Amino acid sequence: MLIMVLLLCSGALSAQRVQFNASVSGNDVATGEPFRVTFAINGNGSRFTPPDFTGFQILSGPNVSSSITSINGNTTVSNSYSYDLVAVKEGILTIGSAFIMVDERRLNTNPIRIRVSKGQPMQQNSQQQQQRQEEMIQDNAEDLSKALLLRAEVNKTNVYQGEQILLSYKLYTRAGIVDSRVDKLPDLNGFWTEDVKNQPQQVQWRTETYKGLKYNVADVKQMILFAEHSGDIKINPFEMTFIVRVAAPARDIMEQFFGSYKDVKYAVKSIPVVVHVKPLPEAGKPAGFSGAVGKFSIQARLDKKELKANETLNYSVKLTGSGNIKLINALNVNLPADFEKYDPKVTDTIKEEANGVRGNRTYSYLLIPRRQGNYTIDPLEFSYFDTSTKKYVTIATKAFAVKVNKGLVENNVTAFSDADQKDIKKLDKDIRSIKTGNAGLNKIGERFYGSQGYWLLLLSGPVLCALAFGFRNRNRKINSDVVRVKNRRAGKVAARHLANAQKQLAAKNTAAFYEAIFKGLYGYLSDKLNLAVADLNKESIVDGLKDREIGDQLITKLLETLDLCEMARYAPVTQLSELEVLEKAKGIINEIEDEIK
Amino acid sequence: MKLKMKLNSPKRILYLILFTVLPMLSFGSQQSAALYTAANSYYAKGQFQHALDNYKKVLAGGTTSAALYYNLGNASYKTGDLASALLYYEKARKLAPNDDDIYANIRLANSKTSDKVDEAPELFLTSWWKAVYLSASADTFAILSIVLVLAGSALLVTYFFAHAVMLKKAAFYSAVVLLCSGLAVIFIAGRQVSYFEHNRQGIVFNSPVAVKSAPSDDARNLFIIHSGTKVSIIDIKKDWIRITLNNGNEGWMKVEDLKEI
Repeated sequence: MLIMVLLLCSGALSAQRVQFNASVSGNDVATGEPFRVTFAINGNGSRFTPPDFTGFQILSGPNVSSSITSINGNTTVSNSYSYDLVAVKEGILTIGSAFIMVDERRLNTNPIRIRVSKGQPMQQNSQQQQQRQEEMIQDNAEDLSKALLLRAEVNKTNVYQGEQILLSYKLYTRAGIVDSRVDKLPDLNGFWTEDVKNQPQQVQWRTETYKGLKYNVADVKQMILFAEHSGDIKINPFEMTFIVRVAAPARDIMEQFFGSYKDVKYAVKSIPVVVHVKPLPEAGKPAGFSGAVGKFSIQARLDKKELKANETLNYSVKLTGSGNIKLINALNVNLPADFEKYDPKVTDTIKEEANGVRGNRTYSYLLIPRRQGNYTIDPLEFSYFDTSTKKYVTIATKAFAVKVNKGLVENNVTAFSDADQKDIKKLDKDIRSIKTGNAGLNKIGERFYGSQGYWLLLLSGPVLCALAFGFRNRNRKINSDVVRVKNRRAGKVAARHLANAQKQLAAKNTAAFYEAIFKGLYGYLSDKLNLAVADLNKESIVDGLKDREIGDQLITKLLETLDLCEMARYAPVTQLSELEVLEKAKGIINEIEDEIK
Repeated sequence: MKLKMKLNSPKRILYLILFTVLPMLSFGSQQSAALYTAANSYYAKGQFQHALDNYKKVLAGGTTSAALYYNLGNASYKTGDLASALLYYEKARKLAPNDDDIYANIRLANSKTSDKVDEAPELFLTSWWKAVYLSASADTFAILSIVLVLAGSALLVTYFFAHAVMLKKAAFYSAVVLLCSGLAVIFIAGRQVSYFEHNRQGIVFNSPVAVKSAPSDDARNLFIIHSGTKVSIIDIKKDWIRITLNNGNEGWMKVEDLKEI
């Protein structure tokens, strides 16, 4: 086992030069004579590309074979691709290069030249027979194209987008067909296709005349096409290979009597057909148009008119007609927002026949009304393009009124539960509406903030304050000046009155003496306390002096003296001499001067 | 008596100022007001194009207001001109930065534009401060500041002349509070004005617009934006504008593709 692995490894390591060769079974061939061309590679290649076998017909191939040989520990892998070919015409033909990718390298074979001669005579055939056979084969090549035709036919070549077209592939034959094989179905790009299904199992033959010749005709395949876009759309060829039985020259009497034949392989292609597709007109296109083309009718049905909330309701819409009914998407039904809607169940009863796709499609909606009330199911509008009148048509169902009664409340739900409450559904979004009040229009670019008026108004406050401040200060100054003058003067005035009192004392004029002292004290207090003489009384004097923080003792002393003076004006005083009174008054004034603030 | 006379005369000046300045601020012409009402009724009837034309006439008359720009934006939106709608809404926002309707419509209109630009998140302090100075229009702040300063001044005057100690104290402290808040409001109004002056923005009015790496036709295309997208203007150089998107992408675009708010 180990040895084998090692051997395999060494084989892989000694990767010799990979060769890619082409060989043919014979360089000289005759028309109709099969030969084999082989492309061999001694290694593993990928993406083999065969040459273009122009002038040859491929009978079979590519036949792929691969072999692994291990000789003395040397493992060789070889692959070959072979084709069985038949030359169609004589002359010198070339088989081009084939390509293959090996380890990122692209290898190619040398082209091979093949000399094709006219059909080689068979060894046992006589010269005459050879001659006739040659004629026959020649006839084959020329006549089969007339004996066997494949045609693609459309019932309309000028259609609207979405309009249905019937495409039939017809086989025209004058020869007997032994076998047939579909080589290539056309890829019908740009069309939505539906196969016509009701075709009989047995091929129905009928006779038709085409280009002056009578043919047996059969429909090979029928399809209904719906163009998906506008413009010229090409229907590519349909390719088939037939084995046709043709008459062969009789080689003996029996053959002459019963007729002789041989089977010939023959490939046919249909001629491409171009369909001109017009876009649907823009003019008059309804808003809800969803691409339906053909002819339709619509019908809606509601199974109940009255029900309880949370019960089910069936709303079905049946669309009947011919056209691209299978391509119609869900309908835009307008149901009340309080109805719970499920995706519709779509049931199709559609037949694809030679005269078009027709049938009906039913959309059944299961609805559950969640709240009681009277609801209306609005008419459902459906628009289609009518190909016969070339106009858009809008059809509508009827409206239905549904009465939803109060549903049963389940017993196990408590009375205060909010189980019946639902979130408010937001149906749509829109911008908020315009402002309709006073527009408050201003000049563009004008703003109150930063304008002259603004700064003026703003400054007016501080200016006002400054003015008021100045005004108050001035007032205060004036007032305080008066007081100060009076204050300063108070001592002098008092001194004058007291001097006067001394004079009166010398003249022994007692009453005048006391009056002078009284006036002196009153005048002094009036100036000091900044009060009019008329406003002076005991209370105001006490208040004024207390405000100015004069001691109670001094105030009492002052009041005693004042009382004494007042009394002495009317009655003689005994307890104090005049001189003592004078000294006392002087002392009081001096003390007040000292203490007053 | 003499004192009262003195107090009255500054007040008289104040009234005089009020009566001369305020009318200049608030009255558009009669014609504009009539056009505006007509436009509103067209809008109500669903004739948005007519409404739009009339609103534009009001604007052409040289008067404007946040409500006018807002209604213009609505009419543009209804006629399908999303870029214009956004431009007018943004202009309205500049005049009334605290209007909820304007923000709601900007959000809705923005959700319909083709470019989705995620805004880079702001620091919470920045967004709070922004919310403060955008909480009213600059003019509202201006009027508020005047009221505060005048009231504060009046209290200060009271303080100067009052005799009772309690009254004096109360008047003084409330005057200080009012004057300080007056100053704060003036500052806030100034912030708002400078915010709108320094954050120059524009709406893209063409689709698609290639934003280039340099102000030249040969420069590489950095990204493509479409009509209705809001961009911030950094710099304008002749035919080219240097812009930045809310998500931080930068580049140059042509002047004619942008309308400044």
